[in-house]
Amino acid sequence: MEREPVAERGSGAVLRLEGVHKRFGALHVLRGIDLEVQRGGVVCVIGPSGSGKSTLLRCINLLEPPDQGRILLEGREITGKTTADDRNYVRRRVGIVFQQLNLFPHKSALENVLLAQVRVLGRKRDEAGAKAQALLTRVGLADKMEEYPERLSGGQQQRVAIARALAMDPHVMLFDEVTSALDPELIKEVLDVMRELASEGMTMVVVTHEMRFARDVGDNVVFMDGGVIVEEGPPAQLLDSPREERTRRFLGLVLEH
Amino acid sequence: MGLALVLLGLISDLWNSTIGGLWDSTDVFRTQYFDFGLMRDEFDPVLDGFWSTVQLSVISGALSLAWGLVLAVLRQLPGRALAPVRGLTIAYIDVFRGIPLLMILLLVSGGLGAFAFEGVIPEAIGIPRFFGKPDPFWYGVFAITLTYGAYMAEVYRAGIEAVPRGQMEAARSLGMSHGQAMRFVIVPQAVRSVIPPLLNDFIALMKDTSLVSFLGFVEVTQAGRDVQSEFFNSSALTLGAIMFLIVTIPLARLVDRMIAREQARTQRGGATTVPTPAPGTAAGGAM
Repeated sequence: MEREPVAERGSGAVLRLEGVHKRFGALHVLRGIDLEVQRGGVVCVIGPSGSGKSTLLRCINLLEPPDQGRILLEGREITGKTTADDRNYVRRRVGIVFQQLNLFPHKSALENVLLAQVRVLGRKRDEAGAKAQALLTRVGLADKMEEYPERLSGGQQQRVAIARALAMDPHVMLFDEVTSALDPELIKEVLDVMRELASEGMTMVVVTHEMRFARDVGDNVVFMDGGVIVEEGPPAQLLDSPREERTRRFLGLVLEH
Repeated sequence: MGLALVLLGLISDLWNSTIGGLWDSTDVFRTQYFDFGLMRDEFDPVLDGFWSTVQLSVISGALSLAWGLVLAVLRQLPGRALAPVRGLTIAYIDVFRGIPLLMILLLVSGGLGAFAFEGVIPEAIGIPRFFGKPDPFWYGVFAITLTYGAYMAEVYRAGIEAVPRGQMEAARSLGMSHGQAMRFVIVPQAVRSVIPPLLNDFIALMKDTSLVSFLGFVEVTQAGRDVQSEFFNSSALTLGAIMFLIVTIPLARLVDRMIAREQARTQRGGATTVPTPAPGTAAGGAM
């Protein structure tokens, strides 16, 4: 599928963060984040560990509600006083895949993808099953549906996790260093799935250390350090000719090897 | 031939002067604990008592398993609003683990009986006689469940806390409520990992049912004791002990085997590490 340029795709920001702060006790992890993600846009977030990238994603789906600032999802504010229903509303529209492999170990690949469809969306079992099969086929695991996570490689587990999140028909997908726990030879199969997803127009926020992925797939790259966005721009500009000294230093460190 | 006879005689003498003699000198001991004639004569009442022990154990055990799980889940409820529930649950668990079961038994039986007598509670509850079982049986079930529910709650808690944090987050991020996540994701994993320690608790529970004899309920200990006081001989109690062992030893072995299997599984890697794929399975993400 051909990708349209971001500007023409935009029916406004799907996701909008305004001055988001997050503290864990004395630790001030996010110090005022402003970010906009357009519909169908792919934003890649890079930065040293401890810069708040993961926390940013966890704030967006309210696993860690922000202490200050606003987050708007498709124009609706999801921060402030939220009820359990609000949070569940958000999580149904925002899918996330984590760095740690956290498929449900007591369920097969198929059941992993099926469970929340049935329990959260109230889909009929056969409908959910058909959807799960289609998604697992899409991520290249048609022959692994009945396998339990224990019997799958890390890359296969992450692909199931992507299918599991997609089964909820999310409007936005968040990826939190999903290849960082994988052996090098397994990284490509996961990135390929994400590439495909991006080309189909999924709105994505991707925290990653894979600079080539950020360059190829990202519409925008965000460099975070010390809980703030230091610099943001198109991949070619940010990765090749960063404006900020901190960005330059970080890229120097990661691109050296 | 003659030599063989002499040898046989020698062996017989040797036996009598050593092991055989020792055996004879244990006659009093053997009669007191291993009077097989008495065991045979009193087999039926002891077996009846043991059947009551089994019924008491199975009903109390099942209820304790359920009540313990309820307590463990209450203890894990999220949020500040539910802090009082968590506090009360912790207090309950501390109290009932810290009091002898015998005291709970006496408090329960005496209290319920008295309340029923004073008309505070219906007689069917104060002096329960469900399914043709006498009220001491049900006092026992109640007291054991109260106590062992607290023990088992702690076992469940260990299991729940051993489930990686990421599991709850994964479930919540898919839109599940805390309750759904507990029910479909956390508890099924937790229960699987704590079956061996729960079985251990069940063995302890089964032995503790003997305390219900204090309320005049004839389970296997009381049945043995009745024979003991009538004949001044403990063999019926030995018989009861043997019946216990026939059940508890296989259970203990089963627990060991389950633990060994679980250890083999987690040492092999379990769910936490990533197995390397077999050749040819590292297919690209063709879509």
